[in-house]
Amino acid sequence: MAKFIRIDMGTRTAEIGACPEKYAGLAGRGLTSMFIADEVKPTCHPLGKYNKLVFAPGFLTGTSAVNSGRISCGAKSPLTGGIKESNSGGSFSQKMARLDIKALVFEGLPADGKYAVVKVDKDGVTFDEAPAEIVGAGNYDAIKVLQDKYGPKVGVALIGPAGEMKLSAANISFADPEGNIRSAGRGGLGAVMGSKGIKAVIIDDAGASAVPIARPEEFKSAAKRFANALTTHPVTGQGLPKYGTNVLVNILNEAGGLPTENFRRGRNEWANNIGGETMAATIEERGGKTTHGCHAGCVIRCSQHYVDKQGKYITSGFEYETIWALGADAAIDDLDAIAYADREYDEVGIDSIETSVAVAVAMDAGVIPWGDAKAALDLIRQIRQGTPLGRILGCGAAAVGQMYGLTRVPVVKNQAIPAYDPRAVKGVGLTYATTPMGADHTAGYAVATNILRVGGFVDPLGKEGQVELSRNLQIATAAVDSTGMCLFIAFAILDIPDGFNALVDMINARYDLSLTGDDVTALGKTILKAELDFNRRAGFTSAHDRLPEFFEEPCPPHNTVWDFTDEEIDSVLAF
Amino acid sequence: MADHARHGEGAGRDAAPAAGQDTIELRAFMGLAELFRTRGWPVPLPVRVHPGTTGPELLRQLDIAPEQVEVVFVNGKAVSPDLAVMSGGDRVALAPPGVPGPYRVLLGFRKM
Repeated sequence: MAKFIRIDMGTRTAEIGACPEKYAGLAGRGLTSMFIADEVKPTCHPLGKYNKLVFAPGFLTGTSAVNSGRISCGAKSPLTGGIKESNSGGSFSQKMARLDIKALVFEGLPADGKYAVVKVDKDGVTFDEAPAEIVGAGNYDAIKVLQDKYGPKVGVALIGPAGEMKLSAANISFADPEGNIRSAGRGGLGAVMGSKGIKAVIIDDAGASAVPIARPEEFKSAAKRFANALTTHPVTGQGLPKYGTNVLVNILNEAGGLPTENFRRGRNEWANNIGGETMAATIEERGGKTTHGCHAGCVIRCSQHYVDKQGKYITSGFEYETIWALGADAAIDDLDAIAYADREYDEVGIDSIETSVAVAVAMDAGVIPWGDAKAALDLIRQIRQGTPLGRILGCGAAAVGQMYGLTRVPVVKNQAIPAYDPRAVKGVGLTYATTPMGADHTAGYAVATNILRVGGFVDPLGKEGQVELSRNLQIATAAVDSTGMCLFIAFAILDIPDGFNALVDMINARYDLSLTGDDVTALGKTILKAELDFNRRAGFTSAHDRLPEFFEEPCPPHNTVWDFTDEEIDSVLAF
Repeated sequence: MADHARHGEGAGRDAAPAAGQDTIELRAFMGLAELFRTRGWPVPLPVRVHPGTTGPELLRQLDIAPEQVEVVFVNGKAVSPDLAVMSGGDRVALAPPGVPGPYRVLLGFRKM
């Protein structure tokens, strides 16, 4: 019987029960969002006693299905004030699934203001005081201390100094199989974890049995077809392993959609210096790793080990969005400097997208000069020092904009707009505007071919077909986010129909179900509706589904503007 | 063999546009960037074309196999190689299969 574990941080007690019937058919984002919508008071303070933090593995997590090891984290967001699901790689989710834990729910506030380490294993839940040497420490050292104490193979979820300070952009970090760091980055869930006095959660699956599969032969066959779709597709089989997500720098620059100098233009002259091609060549030349997986069973392996000139590890999971934000939006034409900043984000435990956009806003405000790598790194290090300016930066782009009286602040629902200019890639702009998550490119990532009827090429600079496309992308993504699958599977299941069928077949074989593709997309709609309803009850209206007015300015080189009407925007999620 | 000038600024920031009255300014990404490097071509590469040169003509001129190119950007707009048309002064780029994200749909690489 799948377990549903509630952990009260006020009394440091745990209640291990059977998964309630209403959550039995849910997992991943579906479970976290339905749970938050059911149990969290929408108007509560995100750092107060009524908020709850929930972790859930996906439908397929813990099985032999490739790329199924994502963990979904949910709560009311301190950054947006709305519902939030943020997911991550790492080892945690697979261990949760092997222990047959459907969800870990953290409730209440600590009585004494001290930080605890919560340990979950086959025997239950125990609470320890957080070792003194990890409070205030960087995440890399903290993971070492925790794995020395609890075992080298345990899964670790933890907050860094940013979460301890309850900054609105604080993330939850997860140890990957090599003790490096992956993050549930967006929306400040690290601040919620910090408010509950949780420094780290340890999960130890020693003694756990394999995840049960209802129809094993059928599962095995579907899993093989699915893996085949991923490994034969040029995106997941070649593009991502070789160049990582950072290959998008040159592509978006060419398309005129690479926001540069706080979204003043969509193309710059130095993009190739910070792009995936240069990054891969640099890593190869220095003896780093151009490819590595964020969890066991990943066959895409889009991550990498970026190393310094002496070949020493700096960072991994060095993503396009971080590199864009510092390299183009903040105009830092220096991949090494961006890597050190990325390392500091991981150490302090803060969202690398939000904070990098905040750096660009700070440059726009004249706090530091445009493109000044050293000044930017000094500024980012102030987060760990807890200076007033560091704390403002750690609360995100909107906080910086407000402190310095700017109107040019690229956020929706207070969350920073990522790496695709909505004037040059209009479909993604509709997703930024309408997703219940606040501006988030990953809210519209997968395409459900069974409901998409655009019927032609979409012109990224025009409006035609974009409403339907954004709606479709958001529905399909909500469903994929429930499977435990990495979103990068989306490319393969879009182009190889059997890949999508195999995904559904795996879920059916795992749970002895007979779902169809339509059931999966219906699930996506149900999740989105619950999230939208939570936000409505929290006080959000369609007025919050708008891009900042500076997007009315033309964006070179195409000189297009954001020109959707309110009615068009409001029709995106009207289903 | 490509009809192109044997000069360029190589790595670093883009120089002033290489395109002239009868040349396009050509870039290439991912594995095609490696092909450029292997052939000793600068980025951007000035390539002499006639007015109305098509994608397939350009690829033949450059000795690049059609299956190596999923999309041709002409002045920042993505089109399939078969539909690409260019003339001197244009900024052109070649992207191979393998561009990640929903951007193959959002940027018009793939018909839906």
